[in-house]
Amino acid sequence: MSQLLPYLGVALLLLVVSALWARQIFLTRKSRIEVVVPRKHQAAGRSSASRQALGERIFGLHDWDFVSRNMPSEIQKMFLRERTVLAISWLRRTRTRISLVMRAHVASVGQIADLHLATELKLALSYLVFLILCDLLIAWIWLRGPIRTRRTVGQTLRTVTWLRGAFEQLMARVDSANCIALKTNFDHRGVGS
Amino acid sequence: MSLEAKNVEIEPAVRDLRNRTLSRLPGDFSRLVYLASSRDLNTGRYSHDGLAFHFSENVASKAMAACHREIFDRLVYASLEELIEELCNYMSSTDERPEEFLKSWKHLGSYRVTIPSECDELEAEVFLSNVKMALAILQTGQKPASQYEQSA
Repeated sequence: MSQLLPYLGVALLLLVVSALWARQIFLTRKSRIEVVVPRKHQAAGRSSASRQALGERIFGLHDWDFVSRNMPSEIQKMFLRERTVLAISWLRRTRTRISLVMRAHVASVGQIADLHLATELKLALSYLVFLILCDLLIAWIWLRGPIRTRRTVGQTLRTVTWLRGAFEQLMARVDSANCIALKTNFDHRGVGS
Repeated sequence: MSLEAKNVEIEPAVRDLRNRTLSRLPGDFSRLVYLASSRDLNTGRYSHDGLAFHFSENVASKAMAACHREIFDRLVYASLEELIEELCNYMSSTDERPEEFLKSWKHLGSYRVTIPSECDELEAEVFLSNVKMALAILQTGQKPASQYEQSA
């Protein structure tokens, strides 16, 4: 078993490097096709439900059923390309939201009187796992498209939801102000199987 | 939450706008284009003389912005098939030749200016992507089944 460890390490490293590479390529491609964005972002209060519904809209099969049944192959390819961009964009925004909360927590950590090192370590670990999962999902969707990876994406998002729960509990213990911001901005329950 | 609950001040103006103006337009896409074209692109303010006369310029503008947002939301969450139908309805109402309309919309990207000022960036991306898809589908000459039934 111990003989396999170096190989497993190299494989894991390759996986992470490939995910980062795929993400980098996507970001470059995305910057070339960036659309004109609206001036302001959403009003407060609609975010959570809206995010959830938007996730369902992007990963939903209804449009794909329509396109795959009635449309020629070039339209089907175009649809898959468009939805891949949207799915990755949705994941990137989710990742950014959590990162902002984590950054706010790190910035305010000096003011917390009873800081527990163990809790902080758990928080950092959950955050790291969340980031890795998000990046792996982005790479997976970029490679295979959101329709074919829908089941895997659903399962991974359930894991991400569980991680979010753990992250929230820990945040509530150490930094309740930032935890409220997290709760109103992040919800994945809608994107399921 | 409904528009009415959100803002009591603009409720009568919203109702007036819906009943007198928007209900006369054929479908949500036509309403969206109408509202977007009533907006000053430099200031983002909407203008509607009748509504401003009955209420005030400020209330009229807010009511139009709220309706714009509401219709945009409906179109973002409409299925691709429904969006194609909406686009077909709008196209028929313009009296332009469909080929020219589609070519111009695709080439100029006119639909980009129909996005409300205060909207989520990702919602805007979803909308633009779906309209792009709908235009491409209509250009290939494919229509949803319900459109075939209407033309028959």
